Amino acid sequence: MKKTFKYFLCSALISIISGHAHAMLRVETTTQDLAAIAKAVGGEYIEVHSLTLGTRDPHFAVARPSMIRRVYQADLLLVVGADMEIGWLPPLLQSARNNRVQPGYPGYLDLSLAVELLGKQKGAITRDMGDVHAKGNPHYWLDPRNGVRMAKVIAERLTQLDPDHAVNYQTNFEIFEKIVNTKLVEWRKALHYLKDNPVIAYHTSFVYLANAFGFYIVDEVEPKPGIAPSVSSLSSLIARIKKQHISLLIIEPYYELRPARYLNEQTGIHVAVVPQSVGARPDIRTYVDLFDAIVKVMQPKGKD
Amino acid sequence: MFFTRHPLLSMIIASGVFIFNPTPTQAADDNQAIRQQLLELQQQMQHQQQNYQTQIDALEKRFDEATKPSRATVDRSKNSDPLQVGLSGLFSAGGSSVNNTELENLQAGGHDPDKNGFTVQNVELSIGATVDPYFDGQANFIFLINAEGETVVELEEAFFTTRNLPWGLQIKGGQFFTEFGRQNKQHPHTWAFVDQPIVLSRFFGGDGLRSQGVRASWLIPADWYSEFYFGMQNAKGETVTSFLNAPGEDIGGHTLIDRNARGSGDFLYSARWLNGIDISDTLSMNLGISGLWGPNASGVSTDTQIYGADLYLKWQPIMSQRGYPFIAWHTEVLQRDYEAADPGDPVRETLKDRGLFTQGLWGFKPGWIAGLRWEYANADGDTSSDPLRDTRKRLSPNLTWQPSEYSKLRLQYNRDWTEHLSEKTADTIWLQFEFSLGSHMAHTF
Repeated sequence: MKKTFKYFLCSALISIISGHAHAMLRVETTTQDLAAIAKAVGGEYIEVHSLTLGTRDPHFAVARPSMIRRVYQADLLLVVGADMEIGWLPPLLQSARNNRVQPGYPGYLDLSLAVELLGKQKGAITRDMGDVHAKGNPHYWLDPRNGVRMAKVIAERLTQLDPDHAVNYQTNFEIFEKIVNTKLVEWRKALHYLKDNPVIAYHTSFVYLANAFGFYIVDEVEPKPGIAPSVSSLSSLIARIKKQHISLLIIEPYYELRPARYLNEQTGIHVAVVPQSVGARPDIRTYVDLFDAIVKVMQPKGKD
Repeated sequence: MFFTRHPLLSMIIASGVFIFNPTPTQAADDNQAIRQQLLELQQQMQHQQQNYQTQIDALEKRFDEATKPSRATVDRSKNSDPLQVGLSGLFSAGGSSVNNTELENLQAGGHDPDKNGFTVQNVELSIGATVDPYFDGQANFIFLINAEGETVVELEEAFFTTRNLPWGLQIKGGQFFTEFGRQNKQHPHTWAFVDQPIVLSRFFGGDGLRSQGVRASWLIPADWYSEFYFGMQNAKGETVTSFLNAPGEDIGGHTLIDRNARGSGDFLYSARWLNGIDISDTLSMNLGISGLWGPNASGVSTDTQIYGADLYLKWQPIMSQRGYPFIAWHTEVLQRDYEAADPGDPVRETLKDRGLFTQGLWGFKPGWIAGLRWEYANADGDTSSDPLRDTRKRLSPNLTWQPSEYSKLRLQYNRDWTEHLSEKTADTIWLQFEFSLGSHMAHTF
């Protein structure tokens, strides 16, 4: 009896310890976009999982206890940064009791530091301005060139944590870079008709997309970031659309479509529901899929 | 230099020179000129090449700077870890079919609105930060205005937690809410209703069960989230109602004596096992059981035991905006065995109390939540005149509107069925307003 108990205790201990010495790098990401890029770079040498789904507004994650367990086990945590996860990541990191992935440690990688952020706020920010991100606009993955920059940094960090597969990570990054750069020419050609044209977005989430493809976001349907449109804000928008002949409105799938539909009825503006993330639709599995899908929904009416 | 690097190009240039200079007589003179031209060309190209190289270098440097994570990441994130300071204010106004004295018995929670008219329920200042690589620290101060109009300040919580113990362990120490069920730990500004559940006011007093001590928790190595908490805290004080409490207080007709801790058996021990399971991408479940063991001051050797189970289910569709829509269902069941008076005492008895609350929330569009709560509490024996032990039921529908994450308006109706009131029922309506400033902390998972 005593012997079997000892055996049980030993095997339990071994399973706890071996749980830590996991062979493959465990990578947790806050969004599916980061997971897709990490997968492209890490390939078969890492296990990647995203804490949130691409179908949901990434600013507001559902806090689930299973996230604690996942972050506890992670070797590397990839975050969008620029305060995107401010509402839910800090308490999660506090509960996860895993120093490897705390800010300042090699297992924590804030990808906003790999790119040039747009929309950095100069001067005072008050909450009267709505949900403004002081550190800059965090939707930077929507520029394919940033995707390459993110992949490079991820490859470097994977190499640091797992030097045995340095060559694999470097090769995978180079392949990723080549594919994205080749596709970028194709995507730019498909969106060439938009070049230098004014476009309206629902939320301030498409500035990087505009930057990559040379069109301009001249206004948002939300009067202030995160604040729902009102009747008066919509009517001034209608006047602007008519005056400036704005032909395209882009909106993420998770926002309520009614205000956009109303603008469409009033002005005939084409409303494109743009998937903003990998996983926003079931057919978008990779970073390249994402831009293929975006380019497709942004084709002028009658062309798609 | 140029020729050795590009032999093919130099051959083409050289052959071109010969083709355009066909007469051999001019060759000697021209040779010199050609040589001169060639040299110039060579220098020009070298110059251009250098130019390109500097440009390429500059671009590469810029790219590297933009993409380099290592040093910059570490330094910046370490510096940008300031003190998190938040202030939230919770106010309400209401009117009831019963008078203020009766209303105070119905709204027994310390942060419940309990007056006909206006109540400042809770103004809470939270300060927290990472202490060093080993600890996080946090303190919550509460300000409120009581029924007598006096400002009351409470050190609600002040504790440290460890950051990096091995094997999934974490230690918490200081003054903090005891791990029991889901609701006890929640601060008033995160409540889904304007008041706290009846059964919690009865077992844990107006301010929730909290005391000084230590708590260890262990993240169990399972495939799902499973955590075990074990706590040891002082059993004495107003916030440890069912245990040593404060001398002179009264429970079920038994006046409490001044009983102090003399051994390890005179502390409050708590245990909780919490499990979190993702049933699907849209549905998650938390299931917990909790227990409390400790002395009570109705005698010198008397003990109290409290047991509870809690269930929380949350559904959110695959597509959601600002976290809406959602449906959340939260239920807790509690039982208390209170050994009153020492063996041999003629009034010795075991008080048995129980209660439950079940509440559903429906976030039907961004910023809008409809809620419904049903509660039941009773005790063995004739307790019909005791407002904290009689048989009581309460139904509370409410509607919450959050203009933004930082402000909230809530309208709630309470229908009470209670034995101790002569009217037997009470109807009350509450309007609540909340704002929060600074960083918001203390989210619960």
